[in-house]
Amino acid sequence: MQIIEGAVIACAGLGSRLGMGMPKCMIEVDGKTLLSRLIETLQPLIPRIHVVVGYREELIIEHCSQHHRDVVIVRNPEFRTTNTAHSLRLGSVGMLRKVLYMDGDLIIEPASLENFVDTAVKIPLLIGVTRAKSSQAVFVSTREGDDALPESVGAFQRDLATPWEWANVFAGSPDLLVEGTRYVYECIDPCLPAAARALNLHEVDTPEDLEQAKIWMRSRHA
Amino acid sequence: MSCTAFCFDLDGTLTTTEILPCIAAELGVAGEIATLTRLTMGGLIPFEDSMRLRTLILGQVPLARVHEVIASVPMAGELFDFVRCNVDRCFVVTGNLDLWIAPLVEQLGCQVFSSRAILMDGMVRLESILVKDEAVHQLRASGRFDRIVAVGDGANDVAMLHAADLGIAYGGVHAPAGATIQAANLVIHDAGTLCKLLKAL
Repeated sequence: MQIIEGAVIACAGLGSRLGMGMPKCMIEVDGKTLLSRLIETLQPLIPRIHVVVGYREELIIEHCSQHHRDVVIVRNPEFRTTNTAHSLRLGSVGMLRKVLYMDGDLIIEPASLENFVDTAVKIPLLIGVTRAKSSQAVFVSTREGDDALPESVGAFQRDLATPWEWANVFAGSPDLLVEGTRYVYECIDPCLPAAARALNLHEVDTPEDLEQAKIWMRSRHA
Repeated sequence: MSCTAFCFDLDGTLTTTEILPCIAAELGVAGEIATLTRLTMGGLIPFEDSMRLRTLILGQVPLARVHEVIASVPMAGELFDFVRCNVDRCFVVTGNLDLWIAPLVEQLGCQVFSSRAILMDGMVRLESILVKDEAVHQLRASGRFDRIVAVGDGANDVAMLHAADLGIAYGGVHAPAGATIQAANLVIHDAGTLCKLLKAL
């Protein structure tokens, strides 16, 4: 057992593909921001939550000062020239061993995240995967084959489509986030094969993703 | 073994209220001094000018009375406990006057960098105003610490946050000034959350 010291949520990016002029985590679905949904899902599971901000940071700082006063806001003033891996590394301040990392543009079904955390405390590295559905998916090949629920990731791949994609969520050591790496999944790549669990989630990158996410939310409430 | 120093602003960070308006209440000008303090913390008036003016006005209150008022200023409980448990590596860094804050310093038990004043013929005479990054430079030059963390809320904390290895804009009492956020690595709005992080560093 190795407890998860904290969660780091990356919210610094421009979200340019969505083009709403605000950080993606500030988009509201059913009257609540993506960030509030993530924080409320994480709070019962994780002792500390860090939110990394950059693009239009004042919106997120104000939102947290109103609704989430117990999160630590970590600034990445170089968000225009750095990537998510850099933001996550900055966000790991005061965390040494095991951290839950995720993008701020996700809507995650709470029960699936709870299962993910339960498994993550038992092993050094756990990778989140989800049913392939996003427009620019990083696919994963799983050892269990395409039809079974994945329990491990063998490789990340852009070109060869599989039914599962990288979920932009993992639990592991902050040391994995090395300087100069472009994408977060590339930081994990040297550790493959590694354990994986399926997460029921939607990523919001484009207006189409947002529509899909809203439909998904409605279907869950129906 | 790594050793981290923690520098704390006093008014509105370690105390849950600004101190000078409390003293000003003795003269019936709490509102006026609170406005002046707010404008100063927001960076609209240079700290040095404002401190000179406030010293001139508040210097009229007898020192013994100032000490009584200051002794009753509420402290942020969790932060106070953190300082008390780490007196060797916690430092108060304040533009407030050593002459006035002596009772609070005694309660905290740690070293203080502050503005300095003396009592001359019953009048408070300002000797020097602290430039806050000077405290960080002195601590670094001492060679005792390999990392310096600074926590503050006002415009006069900007230089201290810049000079520190890790600057924290603290909004537990009131929202930190925009310039303070810009100078900080982290923004934290809650005393308990701040303490949890400081303990993990």
